[in-house]
Amino acid sequence: MSAAMQSGSTAADVLVETNRALPLVSFSIALKTGSLLDPEGMSGATRMMTRWMRRTAGGRDSQTIDTEIDALGGAFGADVSPSTLVFQGTVITRSLDGLMRITGDVLARPGFAEAELERLRRETLAELTEALDDDRGLCRRWFRDRVFGAHPYARSVTGTASTLARIQADDLKALYRRVVRPENLIFAFSGDIERERAEALAEQLRSQLSAGPAPRDESTEPAVIPGRRLTFVDKPDRTQTQILIGGLGTHPLDTDHLALHVANTVFGGTFTARLTQEVRAKRGWSYGAYSSLPIDRRRQAFSMWTFPKAEDAAPCIELQLKMLHDLRSKGITKKELSWAKKYLVRSHAFALDTASKRVGLLLDSALYGLPAGYYENYIEQVKSVTLETANAAVVARLSEDDLLVTVVGTEAQIGEAIRKSVPELASSEVVAFDTEPR
Amino acid sequence: MQGASTRKLLQAQKLLSAINAKAPEHGQLEHVETIPFGASLSIDRYRMKNGLSILLCEDKSAPVVSVHTWFRVGSRHEHEGKTGLAHLFEHLMFNEIEGRGAGYFDRKLEEAGAESNASTWLDWTQYNIAIPKEQLGLVLELEAERMSKLVLREPQVTSEKEVVANERRYRVDDDVEGAVNELLWATAFTKHAYKWPTIGWMKDIEGFTTQDCEAFYRAFYAPNNAVLVISGDFKLETVLGILSQRYGVVASATLPLEDAQPEPPQTSERRLEVKKPTATEKLVVGYHSPALGDFDHPAISLLSEVLFGGRASRLHQRMVRELELASEVRGSVGPFHDPGLFEVYVAAREGHSAEELLTVIDEELKKVMEAPVTEAEMARASARFELGLLGGLETADGKASTIGFYETVLGRPAAAFERLEMTRRLTQSDLLRAARRYFDPRQRSVIFVRPELGKAGAEAAE
Repeated sequence: MSAAMQSGSTAADVLVETNRALPLVSFSIALKTGSLLDPEGMSGATRMMTRWMRRTAGGRDSQTIDTEIDALGGAFGADVSPSTLVFQGTVITRSLDGLMRITGDVLARPGFAEAELERLRRETLAELTEALDDDRGLCRRWFRDRVFGAHPYARSVTGTASTLARIQADDLKALYRRVVRPENLIFAFSGDIERERAEALAEQLRSQLSAGPAPRDESTEPAVIPGRRLTFVDKPDRTQTQILIGGLGTHPLDTDHLALHVANTVFGGTFTARLTQEVRAKRGWSYGAYSSLPIDRRRQAFSMWTFPKAEDAAPCIELQLKMLHDLRSKGITKKELSWAKKYLVRSHAFALDTASKRVGLLLDSALYGLPAGYYENYIEQVKSVTLETANAAVVARLSEDDLLVTVVGTEAQIGEAIRKSVPELASSEVVAFDTEPR
Repeated sequence: MQGASTRKLLQAQKLLSAINAKAPEHGQLEHVETIPFGASLSIDRYRMKNGLSILLCEDKSAPVVSVHTWFRVGSRHEHEGKTGLAHLFEHLMFNEIEGRGAGYFDRKLEEAGAESNASTWLDWTQYNIAIPKEQLGLVLELEAERMSKLVLREPQVTSEKEVVANERRYRVDDDVEGAVNELLWATAFTKHAYKWPTIGWMKDIEGFTTQDCEAFYRAFYAPNNAVLVISGDFKLETVLGILSQRYGVVASATLPLEDAQPEPPQTSERRLEVKKPTATEKLVVGYHSPALGDFDHPAISLLSEVLFGGRASRLHQRMVRELELASEVRGSVGPFHDPGLFEVYVAAREGHSAEELLTVIDEELKKVMEAPVTEAEMARASARFELGLLGGLETADGKASTIGFYETVLGRPAAAFERLEMTRRLTQSDLLRAARRYFDPRQRSVIFVRPELGKAGAEAAE
């Protein structure tokens, strides 16, 4: 790990990375719980609560709040994921106190005006309608739903029309009281700010919140859904498809986690990886072809992403399945391993090249409960991966048998060819693109 | 006694003399000027004998370097029937260098830990590589080689054409906004080369030959048509020596004259209606707008922030919050060498028509043509500008990108800061004048998008 990383403070709940090159301060105030705590049948509740807080801070109206933030030379928003809720701000240094005051109003004094909630609900429904235009987003949505099945990771962070309709103001106020607790927060500051000031600002904000027990993430590990399955998302007039193929992937606590990460780099992690070479460079079938292994507090999904034109979709799926088979049966080569390790070790410089990225890694470690030294020892851990550990990780973690294929395309045009392209299909479904996954 | 700055100058001259003494045929370097870049950084401009412009911005805040190569060739330099060639060529630049074998460039750079990419737009094509500082020599070696030793072979050209066709399907043909945006520019421009899309028409992409690509390379990829920007943690003496040796073997070229066709003034509104597979109506409007270098550009940009910048903007407040007509409204003015478009995009909510959206747009634009925006609105917009500029300079790559863009389009690498200062000096009258000059309905093109959505079938089979 670089000197810059080591210099970062890692005090339990106020992380700081100072860099005075620009007169800018960024901060994240993270809750250790996210949309997994949405009440049953109310997916989208955490996101809705967050936006409602943001729009009614200190009892002001949304227009006033947005104008104040802009006039400060600031930006303020929030990201909700299944496991976390992160309020993020960036501001020109001279206005830091001003943006922190508004942040305090968002977290500690949301007005929760009911008219704003109804407006927000209508706005979110309109966004869901617009999202139907985004084929890639549709593919991801259906893939996540089907790959995780009954596990709460399957639920949409945004919610659906029917779940949003169920959410009442009291549900969100109760959720707020449950999750916005001082004990549930981690603070991260970066840029033109010293530790002392950051700690004072964090304390000031924390003191405005009601104390109480922090909620716990009690989710269990997702289960493997057996068999090869196909979900065809039918949308008219598509000249191109969106395809995601995958199953369960990795967990940062797996002993073979980084070995699998290295193998995936060879398979589909970069522009010169196997997938891009075979699908894009040799055949020109898809503008992009990648595989990914995201991490979360529980096991996440492994997926391959391509988007060939409709006529190439079936052969592209066949090729990808064969490539996955080859990866499992033959493994990666010594030369590929050596190359991937060099790439990962050297490119790690770009995970650390700004103060906000460095503090972001520290924050991720704390939020996701990563093993001690996950980022600090990353380079040494990558260097220690051997051909045997990388290939064993592939066989242990990536399944060819328990696999989901999700395709967005026009069913009447290519449905039959797609079904034939997936041998030993255990189940197949066609869903209309404008229906809700569940 | 010599002052520190004099000593520094003498050292620099001595360094250049030593480098130039060993330089290849075209590799002599001349220091042209030092330009302040924000509060704490500066840009040193050098010129090589072969015409290559070099801009160096030393910044030790992280052990990385970013190398950007900007070529003054974009889709505006193409011709009817050959649209998309600049963009296709950008893809081909990653293929093969003489004596290196296909794929060597990407493979070697990734092994070195690089992050690389490229982009093409109306006025330019740029290549960017960010690299750990120890690997800078490798990047400069490969970048200099591909400027003059690119190998173009039939199979790679054929495959890359298919990749670009797929990119077009992704960004345009199967994307409602992409498709309508393309139509807007084709409607608003009748003569100027901005009328065709950077990605090119599909039939043109399919028709390119290897010979087309070779001719394009020889015509436009020369040091005297390029700007090289290096930003980050490097040693000046080392970098200048490498640059002279690597790029000094590349000769300048006679650049083709651009067959520039100024766009005649638009004197009446143009309207089109199209059907697309989308759930709700959309409205797209394009007003002819000033070039980036025009005195009015900062004013119309600030006005754009007042009207469309963020959720506190006038149009968001009116259309999304108050009237709940739209799910999204955006507007921006193009940053182009020649006059472009001020584009407005609005997505209607279900049950509302594109005509309703246009009525509100007209009302709001009429207001800024009749009465000045408030000082508070201008201050808000100006603060957003400043935050956007500073936020874009956090990384070495962000700095190189900002420097390269403004040098390529305006010839002034620190123009981002000049524009910020100009923005602060703008008056309410400036914005009033800009609104009246550019928001004339006779100078606009309007596209109404109607939903045409076949019902998809649904079934389940176990």
